[in-house]
Amino acid sequence: MVLQNKRYISWFWFLNLTLAGFGTSAFFMRAQAILDHSLLSDRLVHGLDRAVMSNLFARPEFGSMSAMRSSAFFFAFLFLLATALFLPGVFAGYASTYRLPREDFFRACGRNLWRYIRLLIVAGIVMGIATGALFGIHGWLEDKAAESTNELLLPEVRFVGLFVIFLIMTVFRIWFDLAEADVVLSDQRAVRKSIWAGLRHTLRSLVRLLASYVVAAIVAAIILVGGIWAWMRFVSPESVRGAFVISQLTLLLLLIPRFWQRAVAVSYWQQRMMVPAVPVRSLEPHPIEPQPVAVATAPDPMPVVPSTIPNPPPATQES
Amino acid sequence: MQIRWKPVALVAVLALGLTALMNRKTAAAAPQAAAPAVKTRPSAMTTKDAASAAALSIPDTTLAINSDKPLSERVVHYEIDAKYDAATHIVDATEVLTYHNLTGQALDHFPFHLYQNAFQPKATFVRDSKLMGSRDTGYQKWEDKFYGSEEIKSLEVVGQGDLTSQLQYIAPDDGNKDDKTVVDLRIPMPIAPGAYVRFKIAFQTKFPETQARSGWKRDFVLGGQWFPKVGVWWHGAWNCHQYHNTTEFFADFGVYDVKLTVPQFEVVGASGVMVEEQSNPDNTKTVTYHGDDIHDFAWTASPRYKVRESVYQSQMGPIKLRFLMQPAHWSQAERHEKITRETLDRFEKWYGPYPYKTLTVVDPEPDSAAGGMEYPTFITGDSSWFMPKGLYLLELVVEHEFGHQYWYGMVATNEFEDAWMDEGINSYTEVKVLDSILDKNTSIMNIAGATIGEREEQHSFIRVADRDAMAQKAYEYYNANSYDGITYGKTASVLLTLEGIIGEDTMDKAMHTYFMKYRFTHPTKEDFLKTIEEVSGKNLRWYFDQAVYGTQVMDYEVLDVNSFPVNWYEEKKDKDKKDDEKDDKKGAKDATVYQSYVSLHRKEDFVMPVEVEIKFDNGEKVREHWDGKSRWIRFSYQKKAKVVSAELDPDHSVQIDRNDFNNSFVVEGNPKPTHKLSNYWLFATQWVSQALAWWAV
Repeated sequence: MVLQNKRYISWFWFLNLTLAGFGTSAFFMRAQAILDHSLLSDRLVHGLDRAVMSNLFARPEFGSMSAMRSSAFFFAFLFLLATALFLPGVFAGYASTYRLPREDFFRACGRNLWRYIRLLIVAGIVMGIATGALFGIHGWLEDKAAESTNELLLPEVRFVGLFVIFLIMTVFRIWFDLAEADVVLSDQRAVRKSIWAGLRHTLRSLVRLLASYVVAAIVAAIILVGGIWAWMRFVSPESVRGAFVISQLTLLLLLIPRFWQRAVAVSYWQQRMMVPAVPVRSLEPHPIEPQPVAVATAPDPMPVVPSTIPNPPPATQES
Repeated sequence: MQIRWKPVALVAVLALGLTALMNRKTAAAAPQAAAPAVKTRPSAMTTKDAASAAALSIPDTTLAINSDKPLSERVVHYEIDAKYDAATHIVDATEVLTYHNLTGQALDHFPFHLYQNAFQPKATFVRDSKLMGSRDTGYQKWEDKFYGSEEIKSLEVVGQGDLTSQLQYIAPDDGNKDDKTVVDLRIPMPIAPGAYVRFKIAFQTKFPETQARSGWKRDFVLGGQWFPKVGVWWHGAWNCHQYHNTTEFFADFGVYDVKLTVPQFEVVGASGVMVEEQSNPDNTKTVTYHGDDIHDFAWTASPRYKVRESVYQSQMGPIKLRFLMQPAHWSQAERHEKITRETLDRFEKWYGPYPYKTLTVVDPEPDSAAGGMEYPTFITGDSSWFMPKGLYLLELVVEHEFGHQYWYGMVATNEFEDAWMDEGINSYTEVKVLDSILDKNTSIMNIAGATIGEREEQHSFIRVADRDAMAQKAYEYYNANSYDGITYGKTASVLLTLEGIIGEDTMDKAMHTYFMKYRFTHPTKEDFLKTIEEVSGKNLRWYFDQAVYGTQVMDYEVLDVNSFPVNWYEEKKDKDKKDDEKDDKKGAKDATVYQSYVSLHRKEDFVMPVEVEIKFDNGEKVREHWDGKSRWIRFSYQKKAKVVSAELDPDHSVQIDRNDFNNSFVVEGNPKPTHKLSNYWLFATQWVSQALAWWAV
């Protein structure tokens, strides 16, 4: 599925790059004004000299880093919204047995926009509460571990706790991925029904789905670590182009596991969640028996009954 | 006369004999120590009580030093017998303090530091921490575990009776009536010049959870500033400041004999040499320590320390190195030892010998505020279970705290008033030593191309450069950030810049001279500055007035660089232009003569002569000198070459310039650094975007 629709990953990567590019522009322009004509900045080319970076960030004319972080987060949020906007098209494309035309892709996006907004709100509330509760427990456990005289207990608790949180949040992710798939592929206007269906199926096939999602996440981690390692290992500090290429390649590849997870959701939906079409008995054509004509004037001929009746469109359900 | 003389002589002889016996016993109990030279000074006598005075003296022991005679003018002798209750973190102790009045005048009152009283909600320390910020505890909310106290239960002056009721809390710095960190004792019979006085004190100290490098954390304790300590008579007055959140300590040299009774299972470390360890029937043990020519005594105990010991052969004799490590850091013990040995080596070569017989390096409880502290012959490092190779934070802390054995331990400056003389001078020598051991640009970190050098780390003071002067009382800084930046960073940078002015060799010589001349004394800032002037043979007042006593800020910049043909006004026909271009391609462009200008600007108020190096496109370099007195200067040249770049301070000897980026100007800009940094920022932004989208939708 993912391989047959590689173009989606390219689009999302391009979108990701473009929005992040906007988010980085303030940083770029301010750094340019200070660094480009200074001999000191040459030390940044041959390595990553923290002293020079600190000096740069301390310059009043460079501006505050918090402002630049805010700008970057703003564009990160835009990417999130863009993902939410275009995701229905991706689900439709994955479910399609043929290359989904562009207009159908965008039609799916438009048709499901409001449903996705509702879904995102529900997911945000549920996952927000879960995250808060999990990190609260995690913090409490950390505090307890910090009282121990075994120094390694704290990092161990921290690591195990984060892994458990990751697993639990992945379950939530599976739930809402299935709900998203159901909304699009069932053309489900009643979002709540998709949410319940997603939850039911998540719990029903938890191990299988969780295993698939965790494997995808592990692949993502390997891509990230491997990409950074290759960046440091094979790209010379002076090579800006090389750094750009390998960093973007890493980010492009990093999108694959998440699309893979969505493909898993679509595949699962097709196998287990799709409501089978109601069998419709085909109507046998009846011979038309001529009726006795009572009057001399002949009426308009009756329309010819087609030999087959097409399947009715799936009934939409009101929310 | 004869009748009176006989008992006096008898008492004197008995006192001499007892002191000698005590010293022999102490020496015999220390297996690693050579037999000390047991001497007693002829007792000074008061007119009031000759018999009692004859018994008083400061021991001349040399048990804890590699010297056969005392190294300091010993003013105090503390004999403390303390019992630590690990469950309540309370020390109950008796202290016998013998004080030798070398002030040249009669003393009728004695102030004492009670440092642990700083950890009380209304104390100046806590109040200042809330106002000015703090390195560790911010006191957002008061908690019982922060509470510390130091209470004198009784105080007797030998020959004058119980004077507990005469104790009066004073607040000489800020008048805070709720601050109990200094207590003053008026005595009815003044102590004559040259005489001795003995105080017998019973006190109780309750440690807080670690604050300001003292206290407990879990089952660990660091006993620092834990006993009543007399002030210092300095420049004709008592110097006994309250404990502030930005101040450290000041005390007289002397001898310490300390008995610590702790639970049997504790592993103990302390200042000085351990002379005896004895098990008690109540599941406790008593360890006895002796220190010579030190001005403070600290100790630590934890049941979980793992101990590594070795011997370092110093210029004056063997030093027993003792490392008390956290179990989870045992693999780092070798790193601790390596940096300690290398630091000792540099300090002995460059500044002077380390005379003590021991050095205890404590790896304190993780997540405590006990890391990074210095006490005589006793320091705490600061590490964690994760300390990868290439990250030199533990080396940095151990080196820094060891440096304090010189700049605080032996050259015992007044840390309340001249904090820059211990922290700052120590930061300067830290840069020198770490540069030498771990290289200039990588002395803090060198991991996968990411580097941090200690030298430039000091430069971070620029954020607070105009707030406070170095020569300022530590408790009068604007806030803790300003104190840290100026005291540590600015001082180190000022002294590194001084190297550029008088030469590195001369500076090294000056530092050596300063140490050798002022070790075991309490020098002032002028003692230090004059030593540099004397050794260098230069009048450096113009520099000290701005850098040490002033708040002037330095910022020089290359304002603009400009080159154009001398005959620019001659309009060329198109054909000529094309011919010129052809000539250029043939390498004939040297024929054009250019008028070039380089303008320099002094943006701030620190005036200092500077060098500028101008490079031309034919490879020629020109160096110019500017005294910096005017606000700007312009250099002009007529050459068959254009200016490529101009760089102020081309030897990079000035470390106090606020903005290093504008110290140079390259005509043809290089976009690579910007692109490189922006690519990092872009990558981070994209990754965060993807991560956000991964979980949220």
